[in-house]
Amino acid sequence: MTIEAPPASTSASPTTRQVWTRARGVLLAVVLLLVGAVVIAVVRSDAHHGRLDPRSADPYGSRAVAALLADRGVSTRVVTTLAEARDTAGSDTTLLIAVPDQLTSRQQRLVHEAMEGSGGRTVLVTPTASVRTLAPGISPDPAVAFASTLEPDCALPAARRAGTADTGGVRYVANAAGADICYPSDGLPTLVRLPAASGGGDTVVLGSPDILYNNRLDEEGNASLALQLLGSRPHVVWYLPSFSDPSATDSGRKSFFDLLPSGWLWGTLQLFVAAALAALWRARRLGPLVPEKLPVAIRASEAVEGRARLYRKANARDRAATALRSATRARLAPLVGVPLAQAHTPEVLLPALSAHLHGDGPSLHSLLFGPPPGDDAALISLADQLDALESEVRRP
Amino acid sequence: MALTGRAALLAALGTLPVGIWEPGWTGILAVNGPLALACACDFALAAPVRRLGLTRSGDTSVRLGESVDVTLTVTNPSGRPLRARVRDAWPPSSWEPGTEKAASRHGLTVPPGERRRLTTRLRPTRRGDRQADRVTIRSYGPLGLFARQGTHKVPWTVRVLPPFTSRKHLPSKLARLRELDGRTSVLTRGEGTEFDSLRDYVPGDDTRSIDWRATARQSTVAVRTWRPERDRHILLVLDTGRTSAGRVGDAPRLDAAMDAALLLAALASRAGDRVDLLAYDRRVRALVQGRAAREVLPSLVNAMSTLEPELVETDARGLAATALRSAPRSSLIVLLTTLDAAPVEEGLLPVLSQLTQRHSVLLASVADPHIAGMATARGDTDAVYEAAAAAQAQTERTRTAEQLRRRGVTVVDATPSELAPALADAYLALKAAGRL
Repeated sequence: MTIEAPPASTSASPTTRQVWTRARGVLLAVVLLLVGAVVIAVVRSDAHHGRLDPRSADPYGSRAVAALLADRGVSTRVVTTLAEARDTAGSDTTLLIAVPDQLTSRQQRLVHEAMEGSGGRTVLVTPTASVRTLAPGISPDPAVAFASTLEPDCALPAARRAGTADTGGVRYVANAAGADICYPSDGLPTLVRLPAASGGGDTVVLGSPDILYNNRLDEEGNASLALQLLGSRPHVVWYLPSFSDPSATDSGRKSFFDLLPSGWLWGTLQLFVAAALAALWRARRLGPLVPEKLPVAIRASEAVEGRARLYRKANARDRAATALRSATRARLAPLVGVPLAQAHTPEVLLPALSAHLHGDGPSLHSLLFGPPPGDDAALISLADQLDALESEVRRP
Repeated sequence: MALTGRAALLAALGTLPVGIWEPGWTGILAVNGPLALACACDFALAAPVRRLGLTRSGDTSVRLGESVDVTLTVTNPSGRPLRARVRDAWPPSSWEPGTEKAASRHGLTVPPGERRRLTTRLRPTRRGDRQADRVTIRSYGPLGLFARQGTHKVPWTVRVLPPFTSRKHLPSKLARLRELDGRTSVLTRGEGTEFDSLRDYVPGDDTRSIDWRATARQSTVAVRTWRPERDRHILLVLDTGRTSAGRVGDAPRLDAAMDAALLLAALASRAGDRVDLLAYDRRVRALVQGRAAREVLPSLVNAMSTLEPELVETDARGLAATALRSAPRSSLIVLLTTLDAAPVEEGLLPVLSQLTQRHSVLLASVADPHIAGMATARGDTDAVYEAAAAAQAQTERTRTAEQLRRRGVTVVDATPSELAPALADAYLALKAAGRL
């Protein structure tokens, strides 16, 4: 078979160049949008990034404290998981919990158990709800202190040496025996030291994180207070609770997914890939739908049906009876030899009908020319009687 | 680009090695990487769709209700074999509902450098022009995992003509016409009939038609015979306004009117009359004039095929003026319109005298058998009210017809199946009576 020169291309699909020409505007817009979003995010990023992090040099970081501690031979170690924090518990360790409220109640209990008898110090920075579990006997007051700079006003040597400091924040109610209550504001302390029941350890509750911030460390007695509170043991474990900590989601019981072999999970993932491919396979059409102008579809009898419904709605028995009667009269008249023009004249039609049927004069009059029926049942029976009369006349 | 079910199936089977031997990202990668690679190879090896050469051939017209074959020739100029699914898309009404998918899709294999033909069989369900839409081709790679897809536009038009189902009545009506032709004057002799020939008297002939002069010249008694007039002018006027859109049974009134008009045109052109067609609502939709007897029917069918009812009120004044312009001398004007009271009284009656002045007018209307059925409904309240409404409608129709008859119009009112023979009979009766 020889091939003659092909005719002009009939292809209607866009070429790669056309696709690129069409899509590049949109692509450019998307890229600009993404770049703009990143730039805005960077410019307007939160200054609280790395808050209370001993590695952060931001205004709200705590690198300065860590550096001062290091100068005094105290090592600082950052941990983010509960397991690490528990492992380091010991009498030579100070555990600082940066955001105690972020711990789940189970984590709070575990931390407390670990630190209770270890002989180490626990520093809690502005705990509210979590303070009841972490330091039993202390509870937060709902009203915070107005002033941020407070007088020590207690016997705690560290506080006395430090003098005024920026501890004003959450205020606590300490009911435990032997607790040192310092820096009171309106009678309630913002710093509480609670000795442990055994082992020589203690728990320090701080009402405000200000004394640890880089930008506040050089004010008042902040640096002194922070160094004395954190420098009592040779090691500081700086615990920054994180949401990726497995113990945060661990409720203590094994979940369904823990019991499944890992092959199942990965197999299911591959099955999702297969499902996505199947969706793509089914979604691709073999060409678009073809539109077509459809003709109108109106039944020719619609107007008559509408009139019937109107009759029914208005209970127009008189009109219905008139229509039925006159139709019957028009059909009967030729059968009994009456011209159509006179079919609706009782004086002409009735005698001719009576002669044809041999009698029934008055009942014929009421049937064909009588008053309208009183109810629907009468209308139905009227229709039936008219039919009966017509078949009677038609019978040879 | 298109994936196939095979690729999805392979991915699903990949669940087993991932789940049993290598749970983890390594396993996922080990399964999906080769699969993606195979898809890419398939895409690269599939015959290109864009370079295919497509041409059409085949029929361009079909009667409604019959099927038509349109052929698509696919040429593969590339060096790779084409394995493809092809969809030859046409408007939905080109096929019976439910069969379009099977009818429009084809499997196709074209070796490199060769060409193959595909035949799409259409079976349109409505009159009018059907224009081919796109041809979509999905070209599969050798592994059947991935395909290229593209579309081509190969225009083609198939004209769907009116079915002319009433042509089954044509033989009997032609026989009747032949009876009129050369009949003796025993049958009623109209004023307008023309002298045809002389023949021998047979008992039963009307003695009034004996030609005494001819008898005197011969030894036998001779009678004159007559034949109906020829070369009369008939104008078929189709009303395509809103009243023609109403559906009687499954088809609009217009279709029934067309069927009747076609039978009349076929009959009249055989009888030696000239037939013209005018379709009108607010403007001329179709006009066929001055065709030779042999061409009349094809040209009427062609003109009617694209007519659709318009949802506008017919302009009776314009219709009468156009009809008068198209029917120059004394002719028979066949109005295929409605007998509904309002359009006739408002529109047609005021202009009727212009038409009847110089022409004979025959009005044919499509009656709805559903209304006749409603008129006999009995049993419950709804049925009786329906019967009353139907009786009322029928009475109005009869009254309108009576009004028209009084003005000298011949009225034919029949259901769609009976309209064509009834109209032909009315025409024959007019012809026999010499009233054309």
